[in-house]
Amino acid sequence: MGAKGQLVSRRKLSAKNSMKDFKMLLHQPLLLLTIIAVFVLLFIFIMLPIFNVFKLSFTNAEGGFTTQKFIEIIQNKGYGQTFLNSMKLGLIVALVSTFIGYVFAFALTRTEMPGKGFFRAIATLPIISPPFILSLSIIFLFGRQGLITKTLFGIDTFDVYGIHSLIVVQSISFFPVAFLTLTGILESIDTSVEDAAYNMGASRGHIFRTITMPLSAPGIASALLLVFIQSLEDFSNPAVIAGGFSTLAVETYRIITGMYDLQGGSLLAIILLLPTVCAFLLQKYWLKGKSFVTVTGKPSQKGRKLHEKHIMWPLFAFCTVISGIIILFYGTVLIGSFIKTWGINYTFTLEHFEYVISLGWDALKNSITLATISAPIGGILGMIIAFLTVRKNFFGKKVMEISSMLTFAIPGTVLGIGYVCTFNQKPLLLTGTALILVAAFTFRNMPVALEAGTSTLLQIDRSIEEASTISGADNGVTFRRITLPLLKQAFFSGMVYSFVRAMTAVSAVIFLTSPKWTLATTKVFSLFEASKYSAAACYVMIMIVIILTAIVLINFLVQTLLAPRTKVYK
Amino acid sequence: MPRVTKKTLSFVMVCIMLVTTLMACSNQNPASNTATPSNPPESSAAPPATKEPEKPAYKELTVYSALPDTEIPTYFNAFEKDTGIKINYVRLSAGEMLARISAEKANPLASVMHGGSSDTYIAAAKEGLLEPYQSSELANIPEQYKDPEKIWNPFYVGAISFACNKDWFTKNSLEYPKSWQDLLKPEFKGQISMAHPSTSGTSYTVLATIIQLMGEEKAWEYLAALNKNVRQYTKAGAAPPMEVGLGEAAIAITFSHDGLKPAMEGYPIELSFPSEGTGFEVGAVALIKGGNEKEQENARLFIDWTLSKRAQELFIDSKSNRVPLNSTAKATDGLIKIEDLKIIDYDAVWAGQNKKDLVAKFNEKIDAANNLKQ
Repeated sequence: MGAKGQLVSRRKLSAKNSMKDFKMLLHQPLLLLTIIAVFVLLFIFIMLPIFNVFKLSFTNAEGGFTTQKFIEIIQNKGYGQTFLNSMKLGLIVALVSTFIGYVFAFALTRTEMPGKGFFRAIATLPIISPPFILSLSIIFLFGRQGLITKTLFGIDTFDVYGIHSLIVVQSISFFPVAFLTLTGILESIDTSVEDAAYNMGASRGHIFRTITMPLSAPGIASALLLVFIQSLEDFSNPAVIAGGFSTLAVETYRIITGMYDLQGGSLLAIILLLPTVCAFLLQKYWLKGKSFVTVTGKPSQKGRKLHEKHIMWPLFAFCTVISGIIILFYGTVLIGSFIKTWGINYTFTLEHFEYVISLGWDALKNSITLATISAPIGGILGMIIAFLTVRKNFFGKKVMEISSMLTFAIPGTVLGIGYVCTFNQKPLLLTGTALILVAAFTFRNMPVALEAGTSTLLQIDRSIEEASTISGADNGVTFRRITLPLLKQAFFSGMVYSFVRAMTAVSAVIFLTSPKWTLATTKVFSLFEASKYSAAACYVMIMIVIILTAIVLINFLVQTLLAPRTKVYK
Repeated sequence: MPRVTKKTLSFVMVCIMLVTTLMACSNQNPASNTATPSNPPESSAAPPATKEPEKPAYKELTVYSALPDTEIPTYFNAFEKDTGIKINYVRLSAGEMLARISAEKANPLASVMHGGSSDTYIAAAKEGLLEPYQSSELANIPEQYKDPEKIWNPFYVGAISFACNKDWFTKNSLEYPKSWQDLLKPEFKGQISMAHPSTSGTSYTVLATIIQLMGEEKAWEYLAALNKNVRQYTKAGAAPPMEVGLGEAAIAITFSHDGLKPAMEGYPIELSFPSEGTGFEVGAVALIKGGNEKEQENARLFIDWTLSKRAQELFIDSKSNRVPLNSTAKATDGLIKIEDLKIIDYDAVWAGQNKKDLVAKFNEKIDAANNLKQ
C-alpha cells in the first residue's frame, strides 16, 4: 500500500519536474542541441532502417498492408519451437556467461590473487571470437575424429553438434562482455563501504551478499541483457555447430537466402526484437528506484584487498579452469595455423602464413580503417546517451533509451537489409560507400558502451557533477572534465567492444560490403568455405594480433586522455 | 566569459563529430559508387579506393558472384587481361546475392549476377530483377540447359554425387554407395550428411532430383527411409563436404565440384555417382535490371566471354572441377564428363517453380518427424 502511495506522489512530482526540466533545457542550448542531434542520428540510423524492415514485413506484393504472412508465421509450430529454442539458449548462455564474468571480475578487482595480468588477458581474449573459428575448434577437439574424444579417449560416437556445444562456444565468446561490464562496475564501487563493514566485524561472505553483490546489480543486469541479446542474434556459431537445434537468427537467414523470402525473414527478425525489448524493460524495471551510489567524491582510503586463503584459492582455481578451456580452444586455432592439413596431417609448416600474406592486406586494412573510425564515434555516442538518459530529464527519454538498443538486437542479415532499403536512394544514398559500413558498425555496437556507461553512472553521486556546475562550469565542461573521466572504464570497454565487433562482423555486412570495401571476415569465410581451415586459422591469428595491439592502444589513449587532473583537485 | 567559451569548445567538438556523420549523408555525391571523402584523417589510410567516376571509355564492371573466392581471381583477372575491363566484385552465396539484388532494386549497385544454380535465377527473374540477355555463345551450348524464358545464360553444370570419406570406408571395409538405394543400407546409419533443402540450392536440387526420379509418392517414402541414416540436415550449404572431410560423416550428398573441394586441400574424399541417374545444377550468369548505365556494354561482353571456349577452359586452371557447358571447351582431365553420367531429364524450371511447396512438404514429412524422434 505504502509503495502505491509513493508511486502516485512520485508521478505527480515527475509531472511537475518535467515542466521544470523543459524550462531548464531552454536555458541550456548546448544540451538541447546535443539531445536533438542524438535524436536525429538515432532516427536516421536506427529507427528508419528498422521501420523499413517493418514495412517490408507487412507489405504485400501490391504494396498494400497485410498481416497474412505474420499470421502464417505465428501459427507455424516449427517457428514456435525455434523461438523457444532461442529463448532457452539465450537464457542459459546469459546466466553462464554472467556468472563466469562476475567471478573473474570479482577475483581481479577485489582479491590479491596471483597472476591477475594473465587472467585479465585471457578473459579479454575471447572477445575476439572470429566467426566460425571457435566452432571449428570444438569439432576438431570433440568431434568423431576429435583430438580429445577420439585420440585421447577413443570415443568416436560423441555428438559434437547440438545445444551443448553451442552453449560452450557462446559462453566462451560472450563472457568477456560480461567481464568487461562487471569489471567497470566493481572497480568503481568505492571499497571503503566494504572496508567499513569488515572493520565492524562482518564476515567476507556477509559483506559480499549485502554490499558488493547488491551494489553491482546494475552491472549484472547489463551483462545479462547484453549476453542474452548477443546469443539471440548470433548467426555464425549456430550455423556451424547447432546441428538439428534451430535458432531464430539462423532461421531468419535461411528463409531469406534459401527460400528467397525477404518478407518472412524480416518478420522473424521483428519477432526476435520482442524478447530483447522485454528483457530491456525488465532490466530497467528491476533497477528502477534503487540507489547504487558509492562514488561520492568524498575522500576514501584504499584498504587491503581480499587475501584470505579460503576465498582466494577457490577463485584462483575457477579462473584457472576457465582460462584452461579458453587456452585449449585458442591453442587449437594457433596450432591449426602451423600444420599442414588440419585434422589430417600435423606436420609443421609456414606455408599457410605465406599463402595468407600472398592474398594481400587490402581486406585487413579496410577492416582496421572502418573499426578505427566507428569505435570512437560509437564509444563517445554511447557515453553521451548514457549521460543524457541517466542524468537529464527530457521529453522522449524512454524512446532514446530503447531505440538505442534496437540495432544491437536485430539479426545482422536483417539489419543489413534495413540499411540497404533505407540508404539506397536519394537523399540518403550511402550504399556502396564506406560510410554505410561505418554507420552500421557504430550504431550496431554502440549499445555496449551505452550499457557500460549507464551502469557506471548509476553509481556516481550527482553531487559531484553538481559541485562542478555550482563552481561555474557549464554542462559541456562538466561532462568532459568530471563525467567522462569517471566513465573511463566504461568508455574503454565500449570502444574495445565496438572495435572488435567491427573487425569480426559477418552477417551484418553481407549486404553492405562493396567491391572496394571487402572486409577481413569475408576473407576468413572464403577460406573456411574452401576447406582451407589452416589458412583461415592463420588469418584469424593475424587478426587477433592486430586486435590485441589495438586494445593496448585504446587502453593507453583512454587512460592518458581521460586521466583525472589530480593537481587541480588537490 | 572568454574562458568559458574556450571550455565549451571541447563539448562543441563532440557534437560536431556526431553531426558530421549526419552531414556526410546529405553531402554524399550520388554519382560516386566508391569510397567516401568523409573522415579525412582516417580514411586517407585506406587503400586506393577512389577512382575518377568518369573516363572516356568506361573500363570497369561491377559483379556479384556466387563462385568461391578461391576461383574468382582466375576468371576475372583473365577477363581484365583480355579486354582491359577491371571487374569489381562482391562474393556472396547465391541466396545472399538474390536477397541483396532484391533489396537494392531501386538503385542496383552491380550489373551482373554470376554463378550459383539456375533456381536462384528463376526466382530473380520472377521478381523482375533481371534484364533478359542471351549471349551469342549460346550456340555452342546444349539446348537442354538453356533458359526457356531467355533471360539468363547457363555456363557450367555440376552433377549430384556422393562424396565419400575414403578412410572411413577403408576402415570399415565397405564399398562406396553406387546407387540411391545403397544409401539406405543400415551400415550407413548416422553417416550421411546433407544440407537442409531450404538452406541451399544444392540440397534442394537433391530433393527435386529424387522426386523427378522416383515420382512424388515413392520419393517421400525413400526420403523417410533415408532419414534414418542422415546424421543431420545442416544449416549451412557448404557444411556436408566439410563434415565428410573432417570425418564427422562418411557420405555427403552434394555437387561434384563442391564435394571435391576438401580433397584439393588433402582431405580424404572420393566421389561416386548413383546408377539410377542423377540430377544436376546449371550454373548461370545474367544481367541485373537497372544496373549502372555505363557498365551495360561491358556486362554483355563479360557474359559472352564467360560462355566462350577461352573462359570455360579456365575451369581447369582454377581447379574448380566444374563441367563446362560450351561443347568446344576442354574439361579438367579425369573429371567425370556429364555425357558419361546417367543424367535424369532434370527440369530446373519445374523445380524452381515448386520450391516453396516441396520444401514445406519436406519440413512437414521429414524434418518434423526428425524432431519428434529426438
